[in-house]
Amino acid sequence: MNCVLEGNSIKAFGKAIHALSRVGDELWLDPMVKGLALRSVNSAHSAYACFLFSPLFFQQYSLDSVREQDSGPIKCKLVMKSVLPLFRCSTSIERSVKQCQISVSTGSDRVVVQFFCRHGITKTYNVRFLESEALQAVFASHLCPNVLKAPARLLGNMVMHFHASQEEVTLSMSALRVSLRNYNEGRNDHMKMMHTEMSLHPDEFDYFQAGVDSDITFCLKELRGLLCFAESHCLPVSVHFGAPGKPVCFSVEDMVLEATVVLATLADFESRGPSQPTETPAPTTHSCADAAALPVGIHETQSNNLQVLPDVTELVESSQGSPITYPPVLMQLQCQGDNLAELCVPAEACACAGMTPPSSMICSLLFKALSSELGDDDDYDDGGAPRLPVLAYFSDEEDYPRSPSL
Amino acid sequence: MPLSTQSQGDDDQYVLVASLDNARNLSNILKAITFKDHAIFTATTNGLKVTVEDSKCLQANAFIQAEIFQEFTIREDLVAFQINLTVLLDCLNIFGGTTTPGVSTALRMCYRGYGYPLTLFLEEGGVVTVCKINTQEPEEPIDFEFCSTNVTNKVILQSESLKEAFSELDMTSEVLQITMSPSQPYFRLSTFGNAGNAHYDYSKDSDMMELFKCTETQTNRYKMSLLKPSTKALALSCKVSVRTDNRGFLSLQYLVRNDDGQICFVEYYCCPDEEVEEN
Repeated sequence: MNCVLEGNSIKAFGKAIHALSRVGDELWLDPMVKGLALRSVNSAHSAYACFLFSPLFFQQYSLDSVREQDSGPIKCKLVMKSVLPLFRCSTSIERSVKQCQISVSTGSDRVVVQFFCRHGITKTYNVRFLESEALQAVFASHLCPNVLKAPARLLGNMVMHFHASQEEVTLSMSALRVSLRNYNEGRNDHMKMMHTEMSLHPDEFDYFQAGVDSDITFCLKELRGLLCFAESHCLPVSVHFGAPGKPVCFSVEDMVLEATVVLATLADFESRGPSQPTETPAPTTHSCADAAALPVGIHETQSNNLQVLPDVTELVESSQGSPITYPPVLMQLQCQGDNLAELCVPAEACACAGMTPPSSMICSLLFKALSSELGDDDDYDDGGAPRLPVLAYFSDEEDYPRSPSL
Repeated sequence: MPLSTQSQGDDDQYVLVASLDNARNLSNILKAITFKDHAIFTATTNGLKVTVEDSKCLQANAFIQAEIFQEFTIREDLVAFQINLTVLLDCLNIFGGTTTPGVSTALRMCYRGYGYPLTLFLEEGGVVTVCKINTQEPEEPIDFEFCSTNVTNKVILQSESLKEAFSELDMTSEVLQITMSPSQPYFRLSTFGNAGNAHYDYSKDSDMMELFKCTETQTNRYKMSLLKPSTKALALSCKVSVRTDNRGFLSLQYLVRNDDGQICFVEYYCCPDEEVEEN
């Protein structure tokens, strides 16, 4: 295989390698008739990325011999650490590299990368590789019920709100809303964690298809590389996914290249850490999405009243239904016996970016105090003892709803 | 401004007196050769030469001509001593080394002779510091017997391009191989690291190449660890000459401009690592 890159293509190629280096420690180079594929997979096999450059991307692209094309050209596995430094400094590449030539010949164990630079300087790198099977993830993105397409900048801005150390995020989608929130494994320290959630209206997206309401949790780290690449090329990003547990696919494409990142999603909230995509269906999750499926009209005409939520599997609407939201942590609380957790937040509050759903304990203390002041009889049971605190609720109205007993 | 902390009469006791209005003109160039603690100072009427050696295979010399100094008085033909270079640099930078425009540290360096310490008078903003640094018996600097008549290949390059090359060198390689030839690849730097080989080729027609005089094809390897300190000199320089002689010994000469635009030289001599047959 022999290919030649010039000008901006060299920088794009380098950026692709940077994005792949965020996924795995090894780089698969797969020259095919339809183009050159660069692939990487992480050690847990829960993230896979592929950049396919069509022959048009290159100044020249040729596979060595007819025989090679038939039997399949060499598939090389390179150590990322030996390739990344070659494309490390994109500004110096832009400034001094005129042409880049990459070649692999049959019978050799080296990939030769040559940079023809200004001032008559030539840099030649012979990088050792291991021949191996091609790496490929099979993912039928056209079968996914949920599809989103957005400018890279939009996703970049969403992701920006999450700290670099935030490993996993949950993407929720319903017919009316898309939200992204951070996901924390440890339930016990929910008090110490900052919960970030951001929601977007379907209109924000170039393409919006909500086949099924779904919350998927995946690792953000491996995605950032692709988002960075997409932003630098001003390409829109497509997201294809389905039910939790099934992989999610992020892709960008233009005339001469396509890039895909496939990530495994958590099968359910209870499990620790990302796992292989499994077939077990997730337990029914309650989220803004579900609640928002209720007619919004009801919410507008009536006061925001709290809603009694029994256990995880059943959503009982009050006569004056209103949207609800609660972080996964509260689901855990609800699972314990007959605890009734109530949380009522109007839709407008949900919609503002970066709103943090209050944790149960803090809010209950706050609003308990408030309701006591107002002398709301309903806060006390018949015996005069205060009922257990209400979880945070918000109301424009003067009359506070009846507090539940936990 | 000359330091007048002593009467002129005292000067008679010194075999060497050297003054600089800006101590950085000395300290900057000394930083380019500070890879070992000890240096040999040799002063003649021509100026000052500071030598640092490593394991008998590498020698670095910094030349500061007499003309660079505001005052340079020497009462003997040759004055030599050995001194701790790290301590000397610390003293030269005793006022902190921050570069406020217009403010510089003035230096007066005095040496009474064998057995006496080197005395430094440093002044900045009216504050004077006196440093006395012990000197030792000077060792004889190695004579690499590198002379122009034995030079087989010589190139002069603009430092800029070589700086980039050296910053990108694969440090997992134990050696740096230098190939110089009247034919392709003309001038090549090669490394052999864990990931594979890398070659930097400079064409003889490159506009970075100021002079190209190669008479025979030569390939020599030098230990990377020995050459690494030379990058400090490279960073300061604007031009570098690379020469090899018939034994494969390497001479790197760096042209350095100091703060006042005056020219000083730093040179490195390095022994080849092993004989490499040219194929």
